[in-house]
Amino acid sequence: MTTTQYDTIIIGAGHNGLVAAAYLAKQGKKVLVLERRSIVGGSVVTESFAEGPRRGEDDFSVDSINTGGTLRPDIIKDLKLASHGLSVDSAPQPFITLLADGSPLTLDAESIKRISEKDAARFPEFVRFMDKAAQIMDVTYATIMPRLPMNFGIREGYGLLEWGLELRLAGRKDMLNFIRALPMTAQELVEEYFESEIVKAAICAVAIHGSTMGPMGAGTGYTLIHNWMNRGGLAHKNVGKAGEITSALANAVKAFGGEIRTEAEVASILVENQIANGVVLANGEEISADRILSSADPKHTLLKLVGAQDLPPEFVWHTQSIKMRGSVAKMHLHTNRSHGIPEGTVVLAPSIKYLEKAYDATKYGEISEKPYLEVTTSGNVVSIHFQFAPYALRNSDWKVESGKVAELAIKTLEEYFPALHASRITHHIITPQDMESTYGLTEGDLNHGQLMLDQFLFMRPIPGWSNHKTPIDNLYLCGSGVHGGGGISGAAGRNVVRALK
Amino acid sequence: MLNLNLKTTPFHERTSALCQPQNWRKWAGYFVVGSYEHVLDREYWAIRNSAALIDVSPLIKYVIQGKDAAALLHRVTTRDIHKMKVGQVAYTGWCDEEGKLIDDGTVSRLEERTFRLTAAEPNLRWLTMNAVGMDVSITEVTDDVAALSFQGPNTRKVLNKVTEKPVDELKYFRLMTNKINGADVTISRTGYTGDLGYEIWMDAKDALKVWDALMEAGSDYGITPVGILAMDMARVEAGLFMLEVDYTSTTHAWIESQKSSPFELGLDWTVALDKPGYFVGRRALEKEKREGSAWKMVGLAVDWVGMEKLFGKVGLPPQIPGSAIRASLPVMVGNVQVGYASTSTWSPLLKTYIALAHLQKPYYEVGTDVRMEITVEHHRQHAPAKVVKLPFYEPEWKKK
Repeated sequence: MTTTQYDTIIIGAGHNGLVAAAYLAKQGKKVLVLERRSIVGGSVVTESFAEGPRRGEDDFSVDSINTGGTLRPDIIKDLKLASHGLSVDSAPQPFITLLADGSPLTLDAESIKRISEKDAARFPEFVRFMDKAAQIMDVTYATIMPRLPMNFGIREGYGLLEWGLELRLAGRKDMLNFIRALPMTAQELVEEYFESEIVKAAICAVAIHGSTMGPMGAGTGYTLIHNWMNRGGLAHKNVGKAGEITSALANAVKAFGGEIRTEAEVASILVENQIANGVVLANGEEISADRILSSADPKHTLLKLVGAQDLPPEFVWHTQSIKMRGSVAKMHLHTNRSHGIPEGTVVLAPSIKYLEKAYDATKYGEISEKPYLEVTTSGNVVSIHFQFAPYALRNSDWKVESGKVAELAIKTLEEYFPALHASRITHHIITPQDMESTYGLTEGDLNHGQLMLDQFLFMRPIPGWSNHKTPIDNLYLCGSGVHGGGGISGAAGRNVVRALK
Repeated sequence: MLNLNLKTTPFHERTSALCQPQNWRKWAGYFVVGSYEHVLDREYWAIRNSAALIDVSPLIKYVIQGKDAAALLHRVTTRDIHKMKVGQVAYTGWCDEEGKLIDDGTVSRLEERTFRLTAAEPNLRWLTMNAVGMDVSITEVTDDVAALSFQGPNTRKVLNKVTEKPVDELKYFRLMTNKINGADVTISRTGYTGDLGYEIWMDAKDALKVWDALMEAGSDYGITPVGILAMDMARVEAGLFMLEVDYTSTTHAWIESQKSSPFELGLDWTVALDKPGYFVGRRALEKEKREGSAWKMVGLAVDWVGMEKLFGKVGLPPQIPGSAIRASLPVMVGNVQVGYASTSTWSPLLKTYIALAHLQKPYYEVGTDVRMEITVEHHRQHAPAKVVKLPFYEPEWKKK
């Protein structure tokens, strides 16, 4: 058992943990990042699923969970990530939906014309509003939320003032529409702009992506804006380069003098008199620090690593009540490149009802018979994001279902891209349970807690604790489960550093 | 159909036959006898002079069992439960995270991993919320366990006549298993009167068997069935407060100022700030301990001569209440209200009008002169009174 004194220990080397670590290391703090896996990245990671040592052109390597992504520009600049290996491509990428006849339709003003002149004419205004809404959302996520309903101080109040100003500067109409859009259903929102079902459904697919909600659910207006903000539009950017983000961050941490240890699973956080002062690793090693930041999800951090015994009962109750409910499965297909799938983000979302019905299955703990699929390609690998595949299956278990889900996903996709069949070499499936056991996402929830209106703003992760703090002194949350989190923005990891002061 | 009727206790067959004035009180959803006679004197004096048999079955009771039973109670209550020995009983309050009282009762360590907790109100949800991640079962046994409070200086002698094992060695706030008239019982040396006394816990089906045995054995010792009104007078003399009379549970308080901390109620001795680990309210209680309490519950002894003067003005001798008064009476210093009395009673034994009062800093210091509201022939007056140490009455045999 060794003991080394660190200023800050950061649990988890996901993007938020690394962002926080890099900022702190840059300030000259002695930081140690502890990562359970043998690689850094968390759910922002590019891995090879090849069996045996296959490398080079034919490598089976792909963004495992999150597809590509872009950190906030200020983070990239502050941490000089370009010099640490991050190549950011902000060029717009095609977002393609599949028509009933199997042909692809790219969502841009020009291509939509062949479906509807009206929709094509409305498209630029929709994009303008969404960009504006995303900008307001970005400022919202950069504002540390006060601990409502408790009293909040002047500093928090100042942040809110900035946020209010941004809303106001957005112009009266856009501000109102932004506020109005949040609780709306994605269906209602898109219906205000478009008439053709295929266009509306394709946009609704982005709204429900990663969330356990259907496009007819209240609050999918919010998730649409959230995903739009993180993607910078409808389509993913930097596909195949998720790992580059986190490896550049890891490089930055080290360059600033921080330390990262992989295969160092934190088993518990040491707490004495409600003050955190270190961690215990799975191998029994104790490491002390003045401060602990956890980028693991709030449920795991508080109920597993701290333990309910050391926390106030109401706080425990709220933490237990955080809705996780992951329902995404990922399939990565290793092909010979002749799969026939176009580049960009391709969605199978023929109608809003189709998406809603796909979601309905989760209510009954079942897997969608006709799933919403989002497909991206990177080199020879085809990735399928499959919704909905609930973490908790009512009448079966994932040992039985994983093979069936892979088969269903592939079969469904092959109906649109017959060339895929002959092109396939092998595949790798990541079930919601794998997301928990391999990637540390409790209940397979990509966002460390559903992005819902009651788990949003000052209610994220739980009401009264929206400022990264916990009832344990010197223990802070900095993962996707706190305000600013969800998606690859890095906002939560950046905000926590300000909350420490 | 939903049954909204009050329940009767396992002793009802006996108590109802003896209750002459049909003076019934409701207590936690049960009917209990308020008084067995038209005036309280005989019942009150039984507590102080002989042996009072009081049906306290409506006390809410939980059995808490399992590997983490002690850990749960250690976390919920303010006492150091891990230090308790098997056979020990501890009086305690329990707080919310802000260090304000939810309820109070006794914790009995029946076995290493089995405890009984009594409470004035239902606490199952709170206990369950606190048991997250613990290996423990919480069972409410209020209906299944009948309880008799047997209070007064003769009770030991009476018990020894009917118990299988003598109770002579049973110390204050300890319990023992025993047998009465063939029925298994637990006897704890506890009570709500501040006198020598015991509480007898038994299976509900054995209730009458135990009652009958005690009544028979006690006939030569002045055993008297006593209702809760006489007990209410005795408990004020003993300086013991009551939930929803002398303090408001945080679960019922409408506003912050209605809540009370254990320090404010004089329970400093039950708050083990030196115990290891987290317990609910720890932070807030540590802070209050550091900074001092804004309020304190104290005893008030009203000055008889002062009362005589006020009543004398209208040509009356001082009028005294026949039972404890559960009404808020303002307490003044000069023309400023500095607190209030929550229960007041005539103490037949001390021959003094006494009250449990809540006073603001610095007026709660012993010896402070204050005035308490009394009503003299429909007019509100303030009688001189002094802050005194609690309890008002503590006989040497209480703990001996």
